[in-house]
Amino acid sequence: MAAPSVLLRRRRTAEPGRGRPAPGGAARRRPGRTEQLTGWAFITPGVAIILLFGAVPIVWSAVMSFQSNNLLTGNTPYVGLRNYRLMLHDPVVAQAVQHTFVYTALFVPGTMIVGLFLAVAMNRKIRFISVYRTAAYATMAISTISEAIVFIWLFDPSYGVVNYFLSLVGIPPQQFLNSPSQALFVIVAMTIWGWTGFSVVIYLAALQGVPQMLMDAAAVDGASKWTTFRRVTLPLLSPASLFLAVWLTINALQLFDEVYLSTQGGPLNATTVLVYYLYDQAFVNFNFGYASAIAYFLFLIIIVVTAIQFRAGRRFTHYRS
Amino acid sequence: MTATAQALPRRRFRLPFSPWHLVLVPATLALIFPFVWLVVTSVETPAEALHFPPVLIPHELHFANYPNALAAAPFGRFFLNSAVVAVTTVLCNLVFCSLAGYAFARLRFLGRGLFFAVIMTTLMVPFQVTMIPQFIITKWLGVHVLAQVGINHLGALILPNAATAFGIFFLRQFFRTLPVEYEESARVDGANRLKVLWRIVLPLSAPALATLAALTFLDSWNNFLWPLIAVTSTNQMTVPLGLATFQGAHATEWTLLMAGNVMSLVPMLLIFVVAQRYFVRSVAATGLAGT
Amino acid sequence: MRTHWVSLTVASCLVALGLAACGSDASSGGSGGGHTISIWEGWTGAEAKEFTHLVGVYQKQNPGTTISSLYVNNDNTLQKVLTAVRGGSPPDIAYLYGSWAPNVAQIPQVVNLTKVVQRPGVNWNDFWVGERDVATVNGKVIGVPALVDNLAVVYNKTLFAQAHLPVPSANWTWQQFVSDAAKLTNPAKKQFGTAYVTPGSEDTVWHWEVLLWEAGGQILKPGNKQAAFDSPAGLMALNTIRQMAVTDHSMYLDPTDSAYANLFNSGKIGMLVTGPWDLSGFPNIHYGVQIMPSFPGTTGGHQTISGPDNWVIFNNGASQTAAAEKFLLWLTAPAQVKSWSLATGDLPTRHSVETTPGFMSAMNKALPGVDTFVTNLGNVHQARPQTAAYPKVSQILGTMIVSVLLGKSQPQAALSSAAQQVNQALASSNG
Repeated sequence: MAAPSVLLRRRRTAEPGRGRPAPGGAARRRPGRTEQLTGWAFITPGVAIILLFGAVPIVWSAVMSFQSNNLLTGNTPYVGLRNYRLMLHDPVVAQAVQHTFVYTALFVPGTMIVGLFLAVAMNRKIRFISVYRTAAYATMAISTISEAIVFIWLFDPSYGVVNYFLSLVGIPPQQFLNSPSQALFVIVAMTIWGWTGFSVVIYLAALQGVPQMLMDAAAVDGASKWTTFRRVTLPLLSPASLFLAVWLTINALQLFDEVYLSTQGGPLNATTVLVYYLYDQAFVNFNFGYASAIAYFLFLIIIVVTAIQFRAGRRFTHYRS
Repeated sequence: MTATAQALPRRRFRLPFSPWHLVLVPATLALIFPFVWLVVTSVETPAEALHFPPVLIPHELHFANYPNALAAAPFGRFFLNSAVVAVTTVLCNLVFCSLAGYAFARLRFLGRGLFFAVIMTTLMVPFQVTMIPQFIITKWLGVHVLAQVGINHLGALILPNAATAFGIFFLRQFFRTLPVEYEESARVDGANRLKVLWRIVLPLSAPALATLAALTFLDSWNNFLWPLIAVTSTNQMTVPLGLATFQGAHATEWTLLMAGNVMSLVPMLLIFVVAQRYFVRSVAATGLAGT
Repeated sequence: MRTHWVSLTVASCLVALGLAACGSDASSGGSGGGHTISIWEGWTGAEAKEFTHLVGVYQKQNPGTTISSLYVNNDNTLQKVLTAVRGGSPPDIAYLYGSWAPNVAQIPQVVNLTKVVQRPGVNWNDFWVGERDVATVNGKVIGVPALVDNLAVVYNKTLFAQAHLPVPSANWTWQQFVSDAAKLTNPAKKQFGTAYVTPGSEDTVWHWEVLLWEAGGQILKPGNKQAAFDSPAGLMALNTIRQMAVTDHSMYLDPTDSAYANLFNSGKIGMLVTGPWDLSGFPNIHYGVQIMPSFPGTTGGHQTISGPDNWVIFNNGASQTAAAEKFLLWLTAPAQVKSWSLATGDLPTRHSVETTPGFMSAMNKALPGVDTFVTNLGNVHQARPQTAAYPKVSQILGTMIVSVLLGKSQPQAALSSAAQQVNQALASSNG
């Protein structure tokens, strides 16, 4: 797509200019007033919508977290930090945090690796390639209830296919969703399956930006396919990898639907993750103020984790063509 | 293709097809097996759907599930509603997120980092908590600004998602991978930012735009919780809400539900098949070969 | 292509606005003094058809009144109602689970129906006592019964015959249930004697509470401030199910609440403790229905538990409320209850309908076995505690039951620990 000579991105030579309008056709760029205004103008529609429907509700919810609110009456007295203090002493919150982190640590790398492998496999013009790609995308389109039903069946301790295959290699039947120690891993498997398509689609789009010429040049230089992949392709995919890592993590930390539709947090809270617990507090126990506080705690976790990822990303991602 | 030529080792045995099929076929089967269950259930008799373990080879095919599902609720209207909402949402996202994504990727302006961070933070609070304020805001907008974006209108399903942090983040990442030289040379020629975006950046971004379109369509089409809250009359329901009418609290009409699910999948798959054409851009088409 | 893109956006926005404008105003009032009553319900299948039919009949009899019904899955109704209430737009009528009643009663917009149900002709006492108990919170009637059910034992006649076991009789005991379950279990055929749902939710809990009541126990002490299940009755109830799950392995544990019914319909389970709603899901086997077994020597008898649900009216103004009341009283009048039950197989919410000549045989012809469930309504003597803290109690009990069934804790220790937690939870709530 681009000549190899533009591989190395030249640093911008523009100095921050002040005041003097650029003469027509100047190659140096300064963040002058035009650029500022253009920048603001461009972001206005998107940011306005997101602020109105995203930021305002978040601030509203923050206020709710300092109240005692059961959602039933309009009576929501201010209780200060009580909800947050309760949270620190709630053993289920500690369990939920642990489960959420374990889940995320397994789900994110798992989905990225499987997706990358399949995207690389699907990034070629062989027969039926459209079918393969559509199949990957289709896994995102399936309704969560169908996904849940199939996986519940597959992992059934008595009638499921997984135990059948395990029995063929001599492993005794596992309890899976009946076992507090295994249930979370079943959810991991279910959600990796459900998100692989997303990972494939993102990596496929990014792979279009990896010039074939580069790979050929590397091959000519005698590099093996694996080395080419590691040294050329992966770095060029790093922006997509960062995007996926951040996006998948944000979603993983907010896991809800699959838990709600299968184990409902059980058995014995083994699959209770933070969002499931806050839903339970809000709409089963009518403790909406407490649920908002848990949501805020989760919010802080996500911000910190995402910031760490962006920071690490700055070191490892290469924005080259 | 050169990759295939390199991959074939010097053995006497040569496969008549690319060896990648040996990887892709099992992988694809692993990906689509739940669809097998879905499709089989959609053509089973209701009695046969009530087995566990599920029956994968039905004794008789019962295609009547499809017309029965369509007749059970005004699905024609639901499909139209979903289509209008999804298409409008996609188009709005393509426009707004391109603008914002480009600004965040290439322009320098006061508050760039802050706005981007704020946008990202809106992804980090679960909907169960924000749905009540969002309902109140939507209701207020419907009363004070424009009726068509208020509760129980399709506009209420479109507007909150007309620009998403996902879209902005995704396009920003993608735009940053493009060589900035093309844009710079265009600006040297006197083009303003909008022209640069429209003429240079977007054509080069076809894979990303197609991906964003496909993913946004899917998200919008499958959205359940917000439409559940915002819709209060049957003729404004979308397809997921319509499918939910087969799922009672105590008994679910599986065959109708799965038939409905299959029909609901078709538009999403069609969009993806169309979007796929833009996934691979040839250099010749952009006219930038040899630059 | 680019100009097409822009005009596409514009065009579809216009279409969206146009459709939005012309479609949505179903909630404005009808012509000249008529009312539109919005009702949120979760009927599916036969129930949905019958409801649409009844609504049509009412609209014909009351020209000018439109009933605008919206389907909402019953599990989701609470979220939707609470959001709407907070946003100032509740529906006129909503179908709400009875288990939510003590909390729903606190919503200021919920209409107090105490005087309404005492009106002449309504015959409030014709509704089963379990329903009336669930519709009443602190002496205030907040709902009209919409649905009633109860738990009984559904068994597979073929499996009983294959195991050479006599089918359950009306005066059977839990000992017989346990021994039957053991005899019906066949690991080689992956066949279980019975099943139990173990998501830890209220479904797990109420299946055990019925045993507790039959053993003569109580859930909470009068006043709903202290646990009472930590008793010999509670121990007996817990040991009974533990025996089947942990010792005999005759109990299939369903952690997702989704497989047990289809398993039963596939002939893999011998007996189920379940309700009438499941009967239509068993077309592939010969089943029979029997009332619950008892614990001999206790006061509980063959008691059962019921889970009624309510129609709740929200205050959208005096005339809307009056119209909603009128519709609900018509909908729950004996004639409509009879028509409903015969068409859907749901148990009649009124006692008088049960004794209507020909009713029971017609019901049973449409849905075999349902007559036992109907007469079993006479075995409902009490309801679960009507306290706003019940959801918390339920979760503690759910965890206790699941941990015993999974073999993770011993019954006595589990009971004591749960009782302690319940007392703490009740003390810190304001009932």
